[in-house]
Amino acid sequence: MSDAIGTPQARLDIAAKVKGTRKYPQDFNMEGQLWAAVVWAAHPHAIVRRIDTSAAEAVPGVVRIITSKDVPVNSYGIGIPDQPVLVGEGEKVRWVGDRIAIVVAQDLRTAHRARDLVRVDYEPLPVLTDVFTAMKDGAPLVHENRPNNILHHIPIRKGNVEEGFAQADVIVEGEVATPFVEHAYMQPEAGIGYIDEEGRVTVIAAAQWPHDDLHQIARMLNLPEDQVREIVPAVGGAFGGREDMYIQHLLALCAFVMRRPIKMVWDREESITHTGKRHPFYFAYKVGAKRDGTLTAVKIRLISDAGAYASTSIPVLNNAASFAAGPYKYPHAHVDAYTVFTNNAVTMAMRGFGATQPPVMYERMMDQLAEALQMDPVEFRLKNLLGDGDITITGNAMWGGVGIKETLRQAAIAAGWRQQGDRWIKPDLGQPSAPHKKRGIGIACAYKNVGYSFGFDDKSEAEVILRLRDDGSIASATVKTAAVDVGQGVTTALAQIAAEALGVPVSRVRVALIDTADTPNAGSSSASRHTYITGNAVYGACKAALEKRERILLEETGEMTVSAKYLYRGRSRRPTTAYDPVTGQCNPHISYSYGTEIALVEVDLETGETEVLKMWAAHDAGKVVNPAMYFGQVAGGVHMGVGYGLTEEFIMENGVPRTRRFSEYFIPTVLDMPRELVSLAVEVEDPTGPFGAKGLGETPTLPTAAAIANAIHDATGVWLKRIPATSEMVWRALHGKG
Amino acid sequence: MQTLEMNVNGSDVRLEIHPDETLAEVLRDRLGLIGTKIACGEGECGACTVLIDGVAVTSCITPAMKAHGRRVTTIEGLSRDTELHVIQQAFVDSTASQCGYCTPGFIMATKALLDANPNPTREDIMHGISGNLCRCTGYYQIVDAVALAAKRLAEEGRK
Repeated sequence: MSDAIGTPQARLDIAAKVKGTRKYPQDFNMEGQLWAAVVWAAHPHAIVRRIDTSAAEAVPGVVRIITSKDVPVNSYGIGIPDQPVLVGEGEKVRWVGDRIAIVVAQDLRTAHRARDLVRVDYEPLPVLTDVFTAMKDGAPLVHENRPNNILHHIPIRKGNVEEGFAQADVIVEGEVATPFVEHAYMQPEAGIGYIDEEGRVTVIAAAQWPHDDLHQIARMLNLPEDQVREIVPAVGGAFGGREDMYIQHLLALCAFVMRRPIKMVWDREESITHTGKRHPFYFAYKVGAKRDGTLTAVKIRLISDAGAYASTSIPVLNNAASFAAGPYKYPHAHVDAYTVFTNNAVTMAMRGFGATQPPVMYERMMDQLAEALQMDPVEFRLKNLLGDGDITITGNAMWGGVGIKETLRQAAIAAGWRQQGDRWIKPDLGQPSAPHKKRGIGIACAYKNVGYSFGFDDKSEAEVILRLRDDGSIASATVKTAAVDVGQGVTTALAQIAAEALGVPVSRVRVALIDTADTPNAGSSSASRHTYITGNAVYGACKAALEKRERILLEETGEMTVSAKYLYRGRSRRPTTAYDPVTGQCNPHISYSYGTEIALVEVDLETGETEVLKMWAAHDAGKVVNPAMYFGQVAGGVHMGVGYGLTEEFIMENGVPRTRRFSEYFIPTVLDMPRELVSLAVEVEDPTGPFGAKGLGETPTLPTAAAIANAIHDATGVWLKRIPATSEMVWRALHGKG
Repeated sequence: MQTLEMNVNGSDVRLEIHPDETLAEVLRDRLGLIGTKIACGEGECGACTVLIDGVAVTSCITPAMKAHGRRVTTIEGLSRDTELHVIQQAFVDSTASQCGYCTPGFIMATKALLDANPNPTREDIMHGISGNLCRCTGYYQIVDAVALAAKRLAEEGRK
């Protein structure tokens, strides 16, 4: 053992980051480069009648204006290629993120000036701004090739829900809506497209899944995949927002058309207003329980706004439906989940991927039931939480070390709950800081898949190269994998896994930079999957390399370098299945991570303002690979959850964004964070994970907003109809004006 | 075009620039000092923070000519060769950087804060960096890093 796992190793990239020498996409420049700027759609739903580029072309310094005629195959999209790369005359724009043209000029200022001179005549169409209107019979269609605007429906039927409600002593019901959320990664979209020395169309840009980008770009340009290349340098945050392509294919198209380097840099407003968002959801729930606190049945209707194009709205809905009931045992369940096209922003992956929205609703139901039964909320939850082997609403037995109960126990005890036998007693919350303020405490539990789900073949490939000394010992090791470090620290985590597997210090492990021409496909930096899936691939490659080394040493071949590749498939040990189309029964997920968060808040009854004083966060991500990075993921997840719960909302009016900058879209500053965050690592290992690890990237965001909403209720007695719980929203609810 | 003369990280520079160029643009595009990051372009997030005569400014909305005849310090001016500045080392030791795009701005804001107040409380630190946004860390490890840097600088001062 090398003690590489479970120790706070310094991040491999951090010295360069604190020196400012680490290069992000906007930091690259090439000899002879031109600059490009996008002409965005000016309407959320309209037919483009005429595109007149003559005035723009006349601007000195403008080199070319690229339009739909220049695109070999004018469609793209992750999974479903339903998005036009550029919208041409006679075609439709479906949201304001659609693109009409790309202006290529000698410099960025000229490109910006010229793009304002591209004249586009539109024939406006009715704009669909809400899912309820869009679902009605006869609603205008966002996509004419479809019978209606419902992109997907998932039914889940387990047992007999009416029978379940008949057995219940208490039934509660509720509705909640959640907002559009902007990823707000600090590094706006940027990059360079060029033709490399081997003639390949090459892109340097931030991405989460370089090989899927490659696939989509090759399809768009009608080129074989080996004629396309993507290099991913430092990525300034992603959170799901770079799983779809926003700039990569445009850079590739520019390079393909112009045959010279083209640089593009978007400003913050372009980044906020023209990229995808977290899905808003509408939830309506009915839940029943017996007097002793046993849950009997849940009936759920949920609808998500898919925006203008499919993106990953169906996989997000798959997840949302499977996690809709929360980490609880229900003998009877009935779920109808829909995702619906509108002319709002495209919605897509964002930290939690459909598991982030439901806790706001299901954890409120748990508190309402506990209140109705006059039970402590910890005690009520512990009676119903899933354990190993327990059956979910999709009929699968939980596997892989189910730590949810332990996260609740540890968080509750840390927050001051006292246990007396099976009874749990809530702590005294102390005095509020002013007479017009009230304190409250709220709990939320949540869980999330690790790895791609529903039968998808989740796989990752890694290569390990060992350089040997004369005595056969390992001088250094290089890990090659296209697992993108978007800031979460996967590069360091994989180096630690390699070091542990090889029995060398982390300092002897190097992780290669990501270049699709050199590093194998690892899948995307999403689904909290790289530590588990790519970690297994790296572990497998290390073991294979060590076996090769044994042979070399035994046969005394004199070779000084050993390399081995390993492809890890999630299904090899954890096969999953898709939803049954009628009953929704399935075995959805490879592995899971679990978390409980508790929020202590103070609500100002005069202004409606909520301050989160302290949070306790207990998360089970299996074996912790790096405690310092573990804390960073938890704290960053809580940060995003505090924003989700209290301040963050991307607002559109009639399809036009109204939140366009950081002074209008409020991500929490350091002063908005709870003064104290207590993080507890609950390490219930998954035996199929590398050294028992699961995944952590997303779970810390899931319970935060729900815990805060429950705490606001505890303080004030009101339930909000939606999040974020802004001052205005809370004030209105307190004054019956909600 | 106008002539801009300033001292950047100890070296005098003289440039012909457009009067509407920002300091961030001049540093990045003309001098190649890419450590100064542009994240919002509107002075709302602090990623582009540099020092002019020791005072922290958001260089993305500071006209470059404002630096005429003055001393500008960027992230590249903090470390000497391979040796990290105490603040940079504290950010490393506290794991205070994830994606890292906001990090140079936080470090420059910290430099200005600690120069003005070598003995900050945790609350002072939070106010000192409240103009800088981070989307990854939740700020706790950044506050830890600033506190650690202050402690180490005080120890150095006592030596």
